Amino acid sequence: MGVSWRKPSVYVPSSDGSGGWARVRWLLPLLPIAVFLICWQVLSDANLISRSLFAAPTQVVDELVALHFRELPTRSLLLSHIAATLKRLLVASFIGILSGTLGGVFIGTRRGLYRFFDPLITLFMPIPGIALAPLFIIWLGFGDPTIIAVGSIAAFFPLVYNTAAGVRSIDPQLVRAAHIMGASRTAVLFDVYLPWAAGHVLMGVKLGLARCWRTIVAVEFVAAASWGLGYMIWDAAEYLRAGGVYGGIALLVVIYLVIEKGLVNTLEKYTVEKWGIVRR
Amino acid sequence: MRVGVDQERLEGMSPRKRVNRGLIRAREFLFPFLVVGLSWELLVRFQVIGLRTLPPPSAILVEFWDLVWNKGVLIHHLSRSLYRLTIGYLLAVGLGIAVGTLLAVRKTLREMFMPILSMLISVPTIAWVPVLLITIGLGDNTVVTAIFLGGFFAIAYNTMRGIEMVNKDQVNAARLMGVSGVKLFASVLLPGSLVSIITGLRLGIGYSWRALVGGEMLSALVEWGIGKMIYQARFWNSVAVMFVGLMVISVSGLLLDRVLLKWLEKETVERWGMLAER
Amino acid sequence: MSESTPIIEIRDVGKAYGKGSAQVVALNSVNLDITSGELNVLIGPSGCGKSTLLYLMAGFEKPTQGEILLDGTIIDRPGPDRGFVFQDYALFPWKTVLGNVMFGLINNGWSKREAREVALEYINLVNLDGFEHAYPHTLSGGMKQRVGIARALAYDPKVLLMDEPFGALDAQTRKYMQQELVRVWEKTGKTVVFVTHSVIEAVFLADRIIVMTARPGTMKGCVEVDLPRPRDYTGRSYLAIREEVLDLLEEEVARSLQR
Repeated sequence: MGVSWRKPSVYVPSSDGSGGWARVRWLLPLLPIAVFLICWQVLSDANLISRSLFAAPTQVVDELVALHFRELPTRSLLLSHIAATLKRLLVASFIGILSGTLGGVFIGTRRGLYRFFDPLITLFMPIPGIALAPLFIIWLGFGDPTIIAVGSIAAFFPLVYNTAAGVRSIDPQLVRAAHIMGASRTAVLFDVYLPWAAGHVLMGVKLGLARCWRTIVAVEFVAAASWGLGYMIWDAAEYLRAGGVYGGIALLVVIYLVIEKGLVNTLEKYTVEKWGIVRR
Repeated sequence: MRVGVDQERLEGMSPRKRVNRGLIRAREFLFPFLVVGLSWELLVRFQVIGLRTLPPPSAILVEFWDLVWNKGVLIHHLSRSLYRLTIGYLLAVGLGIAVGTLLAVRKTLREMFMPILSMLISVPTIAWVPVLLITIGLGDNTVVTAIFLGGFFAIAYNTMRGIEMVNKDQVNAARLMGVSGVKLFASVLLPGSLVSIITGLRLGIGYSWRALVGGEMLSALVEWGIGKMIYQARFWNSVAVMFVGLMVISVSGLLLDRVLLKWLEKETVERWGMLAER
Repeated sequence: MSESTPIIEIRDVGKAYGKGSAQVVALNSVNLDITSGELNVLIGPSGCGKSTLLYLMAGFEKPTQGEILLDGTIIDRPGPDRGFVFQDYALFPWKTVLGNVMFGLINNGWSKREAREVALEYINLVNLDGFEHAYPHTLSGGMKQRVGIARALAYDPKVLLMDEPFGALDAQTRKYMQQELVRVWEKTGKTVVFVTHSVIEAVFLADRIIVMTARPGTMKGCVEVDLPRPRDYTGRSYLAIREEVLDLLEEEVARSLQR
């Protein structure tokens, strides 16, 4: 019973090759976006939709630009908000991913521990991060500590779960081979279980990072002192500045896209794909 | 080492054996909680942890009892939440499957809307709430819409992928027999993509659940709901109430996923042997 | 040539799995001595416990009865005084060929530089020069197994245990690997215990063929193979010994099929 290590499949872009159409096909996805934005702008300018509820694209841009330039040269409000959120993301995901991976390796290699912790993980994993926010506000107050704490927890669970699953799925022959070659307990743990579980761990990192991100934004709605993208959006909503709200959301999308495409995919490329493990 | 045929599996288990199996499983599941609960209780009793910051399980259970019977509010909170969840989620299921199918079947639509869809999916569900608050208002409808959005994207996406992955030969075979349109969908596309759809349903209910809790917390005019209960507990500094709320959330979420959807899975795809070996 | 003191002593070893009515007895009262420097082949019908016996020698499992001694010490856990070659290769997919072969060395005190040198020697021994930095998934089955052999030999174990190592290979590669194994064995002089169910393979490789009974496995008999190497698959003496082994086996195969 072994795992099949297949070469990674080459992604072939699907195309029906309908000749002339093929060249303009790439424009197609941009069409609805462009149409949508134009309609929105027109409707807003013609006062057919309320400016305070649905901000026109120009409004959004104005708002964001204002946020950036308003307090320059001391600082850019916009960038400060973004920086605050990213800082929290960095710290929380680091803590969560590290503890989750170690925890997962630890309980994944010992059957007894796994059977003990599995029900606990099952019960606590589905709790949404924002539900924990009031609790942590009582314990840690508003601002960074609460946000980072809850974010770490959000990142922790997918990691411990996936890492444990990965570790448990190891081919026992590999463990035997390591043992007979004289590897110590720690060597087997870090040199055999962990690399094997790398595929699962990476999937966990993807999930954990996503969860951490969502949770941080959510908790920032309730617990941010005065900085952060979540805070910025919430503040804008409170003062009915629609431009700020939509602008904030657009920023969320862009930033997350960069994080996912940039970080995670490059990580995948250099580890799991190199070793020939097929993506699950 | 050769293993004989699993006789039990073949013949089916007697009801008594099934009950025994269930009891053993339940006991195994509850054991860690007893251990944690007891140590927690002892740690508080011996004043290792402050009483105010972390109430002992006994206090939490008392609070739970209180909320259920004396004040009677827990049931009310929970039912309101479930009511919103049902509406929002069912809407998400209906529209999600419909839109997902549409995108899977019409290539041009897919190419046009996929980028927008994937962008919208990546927005944290909770981020829609401020938008909803300023457009729809601060009450129930916002929460329900948030729940809908949470579930919709996951279900639509997974439905679309599921239908795309249906074996083309099966579709062609049905087409040859003269089946088309809605009938084709119901008899071939839907069952064939059920595995993915169920995945979408499971993801969807998770997101919807989060949207429910978050939405309730952020909507000022909402008074009843589990999320609101936890949020309000902050003003009375009642950690115990929060824990009750968290446990209710977790258990409800688990029940919904494990019982409801697992049942659905069992009755359909597992029976048909379509589930890949885990 | 062989020395008189046995390097492995298997004394009255038994192995059972499970309890009560569901118990499966894989091995029953096995007594065997392995002489140093010999190429021993363990053969028997399917399910006779030959792999189990090998696992016990490796220390992956413990006997439920009796004991196995390696150079006088009881074997009760895996350790670097033995080398093991698996049927499924069990190479670490995240390490290159070099990394795999170096694994045993690094974990037993060799410095990185020394380990590298020794590993390269063994890679050269199995004719895999040029593939040091390849990842296992890019190699063919035969090449993978050569890495497996190099890896198991690199840290200079006292014995080399091989569990149907060529079972997953096609006929041509298998033949080639058998010849390669003999060459490597002759060069290193290791004691080898080789498990297979192919009589042809056994007679080609072995100094001594140990035949086991059907389950519960015990010793059926031994056949000494005194033929000079390289052996001729079609030679008369080869075929004669093959017949001898087949005779011993037939009875046991029939018995195992009756269950």
